[in-house]
Amino acid sequence: MVQDVTAASTQIVMGSSFWIATSIFILAYALIVSEKIHKTIVAIFGAALMIVIGIVTQEDAFHSTELGVDWNVIFLLVSMMTIINIMKPSGIFEYIAIKSAKWGKGEPFKIMAIFSVVTAVLSAFLDNVTTVLLIAPVTLLICQALELDVIPYLITEVLASNIGGTATLIGDPPNIMIASKAQLDFMAFIYHLTPVIIITMIVYIFTLKLVFGRRLAVREDLRQRIMAMDESEAIKDPVLLKKSLIVLAVTMTGFVLHGILHLEPATIALFGAGLLLLVSGVKEPHHILAEAEWATLFFFIGLFIIIGGVIKVGLIKWMSLQVLALTEGNLFATSMVVMWFSAFASAIVDNIPYVATMNPLIIDMAKQLWPNLSGVELLQHPELMPLWWSLALGACLGGNGTAIGASANVIVVGIAERSGNPISFKKFLLYGVPFMIQTVIISTIYVWLRYYVLQV
Amino acid sequence: MKAKDLMIPIHDYLTPDSSLKEAVNLFRTAVRGEQQVGVMGLTVLDAKRTLVGILSMTDILKAVYPSYMSMMNLGDFTWDGMLESLACQAGDKKVGDLMTRKVITAREDDPLMECVDNLLKNRVRRMPVLNKGGTVIGMIYLRDIFFAVTQAMLDESCKLR
Repeated sequence: MVQDVTAASTQIVMGSSFWIATSIFILAYALIVSEKIHKTIVAIFGAALMIVIGIVTQEDAFHSTELGVDWNVIFLLVSMMTIINIMKPSGIFEYIAIKSAKWGKGEPFKIMAIFSVVTAVLSAFLDNVTTVLLIAPVTLLICQALELDVIPYLITEVLASNIGGTATLIGDPPNIMIASKAQLDFMAFIYHLTPVIIITMIVYIFTLKLVFGRRLAVREDLRQRIMAMDESEAIKDPVLLKKSLIVLAVTMTGFVLHGILHLEPATIALFGAGLLLLVSGVKEPHHILAEAEWATLFFFIGLFIIIGGVIKVGLIKWMSLQVLALTEGNLFATSMVVMWFSAFASAIVDNIPYVATMNPLIIDMAKQLWPNLSGVELLQHPELMPLWWSLALGACLGGNGTAIGASANVIVVGIAERSGNPISFKKFLLYGVPFMIQTVIISTIYVWLRYYVLQV
Repeated sequence: MKAKDLMIPIHDYLTPDSSLKEAVNLFRTAVRGEQQVGVMGLTVLDAKRTLVGILSMTDILKAVYPSYMSMMNLGDFTWDGMLESLACQAGDKKVGDLMTRKVITAREDDPLMECVDNLLKNRVRRMPVLNKGGTVIGMIYLRDIFFAVTQAMLDESCKLR
C-alpha cells in the first residue's frame, strides 16, 4: 500500500498552477480563521481569483459537479430558509418555546432539559442557526422571569443544537454537503446517525442533571410568572400556521421518500418553498427572499469554487494519499482518524470549509482504494460508509468545542453579549470541550461497534 | 431663516462617564432657551468639550428594552413590573455605552430646508448646531421647524409669492 502511495504521488504534477491554487486555498483559509476580513468576502474573492487566473474555467466553477458549486446544497439551504421565514410570523416558534417552559412547570432544571431537547429536535429539521435564533430570545425572557443566570441555559442549548443537527440529512450543513457528494439519501442518515444522536442526547441530559440538577432553584412567585403566560397568545396567524404546517409535513414526507421517488433533497425543499410561497398568500416575495442568509450562501458558493481549484491541480489527491499512507489503507484506523481529526479541526475552523475539503478527499481515497469502481458503487462502497458517518459525526459534534466552532455558537455568543450577559471564550470552552469529548467518545464506540464489530 | 435663527441655546450637556441616573436627572432640570425647563435629549461632550455623542429618550428606552424582545414576538409574555425592574437596573449604566455616536449635526448657517432634509432622512427630532469652530452652540428641533412652516404657510406674504 505504501509503495502504491509513493508511486501515485509522483503522478501529481506540482507545477506553477499547483502552487498558485494551493496558495490561494491556504491564504483564504488563513484569512477565514483570522476573521480579519469577513469570510464571505474572502470566499468570493478567492473563487474569482481561481477563475481569473485560469485554475478552473467558469464552466467548471458554475456547471461541473466535480469542480464547481454544489447547487444541491445551495438550493436546499435557500429553500429551507424560505420556508422558515414564511412560517415565522405565524407565531409557531414562540408557541413551542412558551409551551415548553410551562411544560417544565417553571422549574429551572426541567426547563433546561426540555429546552435542550426541543432545540435538538428542532435542529434536526431546521438549520442550527435558525433554531438558536428562535430559541435564544425566549430563553432570555424565561430566565429574566425566573431571575436565573441565563448563560448555562444558552450554552447548553447551543450544544444541544449542534448535537441534534447531526441526526438528519437536513440538520446541519456538513450533512447536507456529505449527502450531496456521497449521494446519500435522507433515510440513510436516519438509519445511521439518528440512533447514535438519540443515545448521545440521553447521556447529555443525564450529564446536565448531574451538573445542574441541584444547583438551580427559584422562588415560587417567580415560577408563577411562567405559569401565567398563555402560549395560545403567541399564535398571530392561525391560517398561515395551518398552511405552513401542512406544507412542512408534505416537505418532510418528501424527504423521507426522496430516495424512492428518485428526487434530490434540494428538489424536495424547493418544491416545499415554492408551494408555501404559493399558498401562504405572500403578495410580494421580496422581503421573504431577502431574509435568506445570503452571506452564508455566498460563502458556500465561493468555497466550492476554491475547493474545485485545488481538486483540479491535484492538492486534494495529494492530501488523500498522505492520509492513506498514514493509516496504511486500514479503513478502521482511517475512520477513527477522520472522526477525531474532524472534531478538533471543526472546533477550531468553521466546519463548512472543513467538510467542503474533506468530501473530495474521501472520494479520492475511495478512488485509490477501488480504482475499478465508479458512481454510487464507489461512493457508497460498504467499507467507505463508516468514513462518511465518522466525518459527519466528527465535524458536527466538533463544532461544540469552542465559541467559534459552529455558526450557531457565534450567533448565541452574539445574542448573549447584546443582552448584557457576555459569554467569554474561556467560559464556552469550559462547557464545550468536555461535552465535545464526551459526544465524540460515544460516536467512536458507536462506529466501532456497529460497523467493525457487529457489522450491521 | 438659518439654523442659528431657530436653534435654542442649551448650556447643559452630559459626559460619557455620567450614569443614566444622572443623565435623566439632568434631562429634568436642563434649561431650554430662557424659560422652559426639561429636555428629552442632550449632547455628550468630552473633557475638551468636543461633541462625542447624543443621548435621547430613544437611547434610554433602548437601554431598558431587552434586545431579545425585538428578535421575536414576546410582548404577550411579559409581566407586570418587568419594565420598572429593568429600569432600576439600567440606572447605573454609563452614558458613553448607550449614547448615539454618529451624531447628525447642523452648521449655524445651514438653511432650514437642509435642516429638515437631515432630520427627516436620519429620522431624528433634534440636531446639535455647531459654529464654524465646531463647538456646539445650541439645538435645533423638528418641532420648531414645524412651527416655522406653519407660520410661513399662514403668513400674509404667502399670497404674494
